[in-house]
Amino acid sequence: MWINMGPQHPMTHGLWNLRVKIDGEVILDCDPEMGYLHRGIEKISEDRHYNEVVTLMDRTCYVAGFAWEHLYILASEDALHIVPPERAEYIRVMCEEFQRIGSHLMWYAAFVQDLGLMTPFLYGMRDRDIVLDLFQSYSGARMTYEYMRVGGVRNDMPPGFSAHARRALDWLSDRFVEYDRLCLGSEIFRKRCDGLGVLKASDCVATGVTGPMLRSAGMRRDVRRDRPYSVYPQLDFEVAVADGADVTGRYLVRMEEMRQSIRIIRQILDWLDHHPGPVLADRLPRWLGAPYAPVGKEDYVLKRNYPKGVGLSSIEEPHGEAQAYVVNEGSEHPYRVKFRSPVFANISAARHYLIGYRVADIPPIMGSVDVCVGEVDR
Amino acid sequence: MQSEDLAKALAPVLGDRILGVEPFAKTAGRLRFRADAALDVFRAVKEDLGFHHLSMVGGIDWVSHREVFYVAWSDRLGQYLLLSTDLPADAPHIESATPVWPSANWHERETWELVDITFDHHPDLRHLLLPDGYVFHPLLRSFKLHEPEELEVKKRSV
Repeated sequence: MWINMGPQHPMTHGLWNLRVKIDGEVILDCDPEMGYLHRGIEKISEDRHYNEVVTLMDRTCYVAGFAWEHLYILASEDALHIVPPERAEYIRVMCEEFQRIGSHLMWYAAFVQDLGLMTPFLYGMRDRDIVLDLFQSYSGARMTYEYMRVGGVRNDMPPGFSAHARRALDWLSDRFVEYDRLCLGSEIFRKRCDGLGVLKASDCVATGVTGPMLRSAGMRRDVRRDRPYSVYPQLDFEVAVADGADVTGRYLVRMEEMRQSIRIIRQILDWLDHHPGPVLADRLPRWLGAPYAPVGKEDYVLKRNYPKGVGLSSIEEPHGEAQAYVVNEGSEHPYRVKFRSPVFANISAARHYLIGYRVADIPPIMGSVDVCVGEVDR
Repeated sequence: MQSEDLAKALAPVLGDRILGVEPFAKTAGRLRFRADAALDVFRAVKEDLGFHHLSMVGGIDWVSHREVFYVAWSDRLGQYLLLSTDLPADAPHIESATPVWPSANWHERETWELVDITFDHHPDLRHLLLPDGYVFHPLLRSFKLHEPEELEVKKRSV
């Protein structure tokens, strides 16, 4: 019998539909149905100025906006041959790492709530708010930041930010004992997570699964280390791995990643304290953020000497390996923007980690995938 | 590995099935191949150079022709590789990469519905992001977001 879990279902976290074929309680087959949140972000981007696309990036993955902004900016800077100041790069990486903590805490809260644990949910949301407060202090927004620009970032940190951030990090780094005690110490949690949703490393590679799911299978693959971008070569951190390849393994990887992010941010704050400077490149072309000129009416604008180029960027987003491919054919708008969403690939492998388990196992397994429908559907 | 080394490594296996390897920033290069030899090229790249992980498949509408591109990662080389080929604008089709890289499945479904490139022998070529029966391909240049005239009218009425 085929049943629909979604588009409105407590398991889905966003609009999507998991069709499962069951025999009694056992899952025989499944077919994820996506597209309920397709907004055509790649198409809309063709109609925007380069800096205007950043607005869409916040909406691509609404729990990891900074990571997607960084991804797009890296690719379009390559396509436009613009080099940002070093301080801007450090700030961007700090944003990305804070975003990783925020995204993983959001995952933690939603995931444990699926399992019926209400207390850790509240703790996760409480601590995520601290990260959002920091975002608000320099970008003005808690969710859709519109903070990064081609050639740098919009503004520098406010006075006293470094001290606030350090205090937040001290608070966060003491919380993991509590999280682990509530989850790993809980008999119910272990019984619902151990040995579920197993996806071996070889299957992960074949099906394109990346991120915490791949690392929980014992494979040490992280774009930040394998193909360091931005200022990651200057930073010291470990790649989190686990060996269960199951739901508990993914929990362990995400917890360790948050600890590593705290370590990275501390190094960045030290650097930022001692290296003041500009955060936006000099003499940026004005058309990067010029007033909206409708497609087909470009003759309004003076013909300029536009550069041409192609950019491919790849980053380790909180959910896995994300990529952007930006084609600049010499105009104010990108000719084509293509994104690779890690969750897109992770969900496409659903058959490999769901079949054979039971219906009651679906919430923990799909919860451990950390689905963000915004970036799957784009 | 530089793009010249890549071309040298692949030349004995693939011969004239590759049209050239161009340098591409921060990757091993951009491999241009003949569309009718797609599967041979994918297999050679995967087996001989270790590009086991396919990151994405995408298509570009250049109006005069379509381009389909693949990004693959090799743990052995520690590099990305771009593969791309040109297809004719009317009825563009290419062999599906799923026998070599199973992860191409959803990427090809997406490329098919958005850029109108058919992947032959794909196991499951149905709509993914768009509703079933949707006949338009939004990422084609001929699919306009809005007509300039409409905007003009709106501006006057404000």
